[in-house]
Amino acid sequence: MSTRDLVLSALFAAIIVALGILPPITLGFIPVPITAQSLGVMMAGVVLGARRGAIAVLIVLVLVAIGLPVLSGGRGGLAAFAAPTTGFLIGWLFAAFVTGYVAERLVKSEQSGLVQTVGFFLASAIGGIVVLYALGIAYLWVAAGVGLQQAFVGSMAFVPGDVIKAFVAALAGRAVMVGYPLLPARA
Amino acid sequence: MQSLYVEGTSIMHRLPARSKLLVLAILGVILFTTRNIALLSLGVLITGAVYSSVGLSSGQAIARLKPVLLTILVVALFSLAFNPWHGAVVALLRLTALMLFAAAVTATTTISEFIDEVTLLARPLERAGLVAANDVGLAVGLVVRFVPEILGRYQAIKEAHTARGIKVRPVTVLAPLIILTLRDADNIAAAIDARGVRRHVS
Repeated sequence: MSTRDLVLSALFAAIIVALGILPPITLGFIPVPITAQSLGVMMAGVVLGARRGAIAVLIVLVLVAIGLPVLSGGRGGLAAFAAPTTGFLIGWLFAAFVTGYVAERLVKSEQSGLVQTVGFFLASAIGGIVVLYALGIAYLWVAAGVGLQQAFVGSMAFVPGDVIKAFVAALAGRAVMVGYPLLPARA
Repeated sequence: MQSLYVEGTSIMHRLPARSKLLVLAILGVILFTTRNIALLSLGVLITGAVYSSVGLSSGQAIARLKPVLLTILVVALFSLAFNPWHGAVVALLRLTALMLFAAAVTATTTISEFIDEVTLLARPLERAGLVAANDVGLAVGLVVRFVPEILGRYQAIKEAHTARGIKVRPVTVLAPLIILTLRDADNIAAAIDARGVRRHVS
């Protein structure tokens, strides 16, 4: 990995950490505050692509494991990996990778803005919702002893918020692509 | 960024990081092989005793684990509502014991000890050509260095918005925040290479 890719991943990891510290931003049209770091995970995919995005998330997970309070609400430490929702935390890694992978294939620089935004939205939704929830629910089911159906139903309550986040990530991804394109230069 | 490490001289503090992490891994396996409630309760008591011996005041000790503990409780209650009670209790005890010991390891191991261990774990990956083990410490250092920078930048963008009478919206803030931050990457990468920090990279 080139030094530039390492630095890009580390800086994005810092952005994901900062997203957990920042005061919540409220969307204009829906009274849902956007604090969650899963937005940062989706953005890592759409901005950096599969490999660098996954490395950015991996760095965040290492920071959690070594005892820095980098998760929202000042959580951190190995105890964060012993919760029933750990599947969602580890799932971030795959979510960022899949988001980046889909974005790299769907979005081309010669497409119109709308097509790019839709492509980024699909990538964020597939990676940040489908893949993430599949892993999170599987962990709830297997490790936390919640029935598969209950785990599924319980998790669905959080999907609407994540759809909004995928939308925000798509708009941010498109804006970054216009302002400072990184995705075409695949790493 | 304040680490979750706590100064102290308890037994856990004196144990080498590697043994603590090994015990944690073994504990994880053992806890998931038994469904005996008495045995698991004993596990919670022991790990609770270990965690309380690391030198945190009880208020602090609980405050640290509150979010994780709450998640475990919520999921256990949820599970209790639909499944036989035995399974819910087993899951609750299992995860609580694991969490208590994990928190004890976190509180008694310094960041640099951890980085040494992570670097060691990355060695086999390095031989496979996937990552350079020494990059772990570099990446951690970069993040710790840049989080305050990003928070400051966010504040500046927010003030710029307010000064121009623009509403602070996620997209209008996030895009410039990301662009400004990633734009630094080239300079930082050049500085790192100029100092020969990553000697193994040509």
